[in-house]
Amino acid sequence: MKKLDNYGYMFIVPFFIVFITFTIYPILLTFYYSFTNYNGMGDPEFIGLANYSRLLTDSYFYSAFYNTMYIWGINFFFQLSIALLLAILFSDIRLKMRGLNFFRAVFYLPNLITIASVALLFGILLGWHHGTINHLLMDLGIISSPINWLNDPTTARWSVGLIGAWMWFGHTFIILMAGISGISKDYFEAALIDGANRWQTLVKITLPLLKPIMLYVLITSLIGGLQIFDLPMLITDGTGAPQGSLNTMVLYLYNQAFRYDNYGYAAAVAYGLFIITVIFSVITFKSMYRSNVKEG
Amino acid sequence: MKKALSLSFVSLLALGVVAGCNNDESSANEEGSSGSGSGEKLTVWSFTDELEEPIQVFEERHGVEIDLTIIPIEDYPTRLRPVLQNGTGAPDVFTGELAFIKDWVEQDYWEDLSQEPYNVEDLEGDYVDYVFDMGRNSEGAVKALSWQTTPGGIFYRRSIAEEVLGTDDPAEIGERFSTMDGLFEVGEELKAAGYRLFPDEGAVRWFAQGDNPQPWVDENDELIVTEERLNHFDFAKELRDKDLTAFAPEWSPAWFAAMDGPINYNAGWDEVDEGASNEVEVFSYALPTWGLHSVLKTNVEETDGDWAVTNGPSPYFWGGTWLGIYSGSDNKDLAWEFVKMMTHEEEFLTDWALDTGDVLSYLPVTEKIKDEFQDEFLAGQNNYTFFLDEAQSIDADTVTRYDQQIDTLFGNAVSDYVEGVRTKEEAVDEFYNLVKNAYPHITVPNE
Repeated sequence: MKKLDNYGYMFIVPFFIVFITFTIYPILLTFYYSFTNYNGMGDPEFIGLANYSRLLTDSYFYSAFYNTMYIWGINFFFQLSIALLLAILFSDIRLKMRGLNFFRAVFYLPNLITIASVALLFGILLGWHHGTINHLLMDLGIISSPINWLNDPTTARWSVGLIGAWMWFGHTFIILMAGISGISKDYFEAALIDGANRWQTLVKITLPLLKPIMLYVLITSLIGGLQIFDLPMLITDGTGAPQGSLNTMVLYLYNQAFRYDNYGYAAAVAYGLFIITVIFSVITFKSMYRSNVKEG
Repeated sequence: MKKALSLSFVSLLALGVVAGCNNDESSANEEGSSGSGSGEKLTVWSFTDELEEPIQVFEERHGVEIDLTIIPIEDYPTRLRPVLQNGTGAPDVFTGELAFIKDWVEQDYWEDLSQEPYNVEDLEGDYVDYVFDMGRNSEGAVKALSWQTTPGGIFYRRSIAEEVLGTDDPAEIGERFSTMDGLFEVGEELKAAGYRLFPDEGAVRWFAQGDNPQPWVDENDELIVTEERLNHFDFAKELRDKDLTAFAPEWSPAWFAAMDGPINYNAGWDEVDEGASNEVEVFSYALPTWGLHSVLKTNVEETDGDWAVTNGPSPYFWGGTWLGIYSGSDNKDLAWEFVKMMTHEEEFLTDWALDTGDVLSYLPVTEKIKDEFQDEFLAGQNNYTFFLDEAQSIDADTVTRYDQQIDTLFGNAVSDYVEGVRTKEEAVDEFYNLVKNAYPHITVPNE
C-alpha cells in the first residue's frame, strides 16, 4: 500500500484562500445584503424578503431582462453567422484558403481593443449630425436626413448588438475552426469522392459534427450575454438611455448599487440575475444532453 | 446536471462584483497609499489634477512628501467609501465634489472643523456664503472648506456679437440675455446671419430653474417639480424646432471643435433649411468659472482673445471642490496645514488666482485682487467681479444629495421629448417613475 501524506493540500491552499476571500465571502455577503436595506453607509438593517418582493414586481427589471436578451440575440446571431461562414470558407478543402494565421489574428483584433476605446470610437462613428457613418451614408445617397443611431431605442439596441458581434466573431471563429479541424478529413474526402456538393457537405457533415462546439459557443455566449454591461454603460454614460432601451440587467444592478446607493436591492437584483442564469444553463444543458443521446 | 450546477456556480462568481466592490476588506489599499501617520508623509486623494501645483508648493515649504492619488470622478465615491469606512490605506486629506458633498458631510469621514483646534467658525464671514454653508452638515458642524466658487455665465464670441448684435459689450449682451425670450430673440438674429446660439440644447438646462430655484427634494422627501422646471421641456424643444443649435452635444468632439471655429453643419440633410451653409459657427457656451481655464483656454487657439462672459436669464452654478481632513488620520496637524494653505492663506491663494484665473471664495484675497483682475483671453474683461457678483445669488439650500442622479434622469426625460419619442406628459410621467425606482422613499407627484 502506498504511503499517503498531506503535502498535496498545501499546494491547493493558496487557491482556496483567494477563492474564499474574493469569491465565496462576497457571494455570501451579497446574499446577506439582499435581505437588508443597506445603503453603503452605516449599518444594514434586516428587512426580510422586501427586496425580493419588489424585484418580482419591478417592471424596470423585466425590461432590463428584455433589453439584455434583445441585444444578446442580435449579437449572437451575427457573431455566430459571420464566424461560421468564415470558418467554413477557411476549412473548405477545395478552396484551400491561404493566410489562415494572418486572418485569425486580424479577426481577433477587435477583441483586444479596450472596451472604452471601442465605445468612444463608435460614439464618434454613430454620432448624429457629425457622425462619420451618417456622412458616409449621405454621400452614398442612401439617407437624406441623419439617423440618430444612439438616440432611438431600436437602432441603439441594434448598434450595441452589432458592435458586440464585431468584437466577438473572431473569438468564435477560432473556436469553430478548432472544432472543424477536429473533424476527421476522411469524412470530407469521402464526401468529395461520393460527389457531394458544398452545400451537402456542410449540412450533412460539418454542421452535425460541429454541434457540440456550437452548443459550447451558445452557452458561453449566453452567460456572457446575460452580463452585458460595459458597452451600454460607456455608450450611454450609465443612463441606459434612450428610453431605457440599453438598460441591461447588470447595468441596472450597477445603477441601483453605485448610483442610487440601494445596495440591498442591488444584491437582490444580483440574485435575480443568478436565478435567471441558472435556469438558462439548465435548459441548455438538458437540450444538449438529449441531443447527445440521440446521436449516440 | 452536475455540470449544470457547476456552471451555474461559475456564473454565481459574477455576483461577487456587487459585494466585492463594497465590502470593506477587498477593495481597500490597492492604490498603494502608504497609510497615514508616517509623520513626514501626507496622502491626498482627489478626482482632479488641480491639486498638483499646490502640493508642490506645500512640499517645498514644509520639506515633506505628499502622495497624491487621483481617481476619475465616476469611480471616486465607490473607491473612497470603503477605505474611509475601515481606515486602512485611507488618505489624510481628501476632496469632495458638489455632487456628493451633501452625503459626506453627514458622515464621520471628515474631521469636524468647527471644533478646536481648527475653529473655522471664526472664518465664516471670510467666505462666499454658499461655499461655507455647503461644507456644513445638518447639525451645524463644518466638515470641509473650499477655495473656489463656481457660479456660471455665458461665454460668447466678441467678433460675432459685434457683427450681428452691433456690440460686444458684456453688459449689453447680458441685458439681452436676461430673459428666455431675449435669449431666443438673439438666437433668431444669429441664425439669420448664419450663426448658432448654442452648441446644443443642453446649454439651457442651467436656466431651467428660472427665478424660482427649489431643491429637487424637500425635507419631507417629496419631489418638487416647479412650473419653471416643466417649462424647461418647452424651451429645449423650441431650441431644437427653431434650429438654433449646431447639434454638437456637450463634451463631444464637435462641441470642442466649435469653440475654435466653424464646424460641419449641413451635409445636405433634409430638415436643415436649404439655404443653410455647410459650416456654422457657435456663438456661445454656458459654462461656469472653471470652464474658462479648464475648458475654453485648453481647447482654443484661433479664437483666443475673442471671448467675453456675461449673465444668462438666471444665475446658476456648476461643480466645485471641497477639502477636508480624514477623521481617522494620524497626521491631522500637517493635514490641517495643507487645508489651511489651500483654503485661506493669502499669499498662496493670491498667486494661485493670478496664475490660474480660478475664482476664489476666500474674500480677503478676492477683495484685494478683484478690481485689478483682467483676462487676456476675454480681451481684458474682468471676469472676477462678474463671477463674484453672480456668486451672491447662489443658495446652498437648493443642493440635495440626489441632485446628480435626478438631474441626469431629468435630462433624459427632456431629451426623449426633444427627440420626439415621447410626449411631454409621457416624458414627465416616466421621469417620476424613474425617480421613484431609484429612491423608493421619495414621494413623486404621480403617485
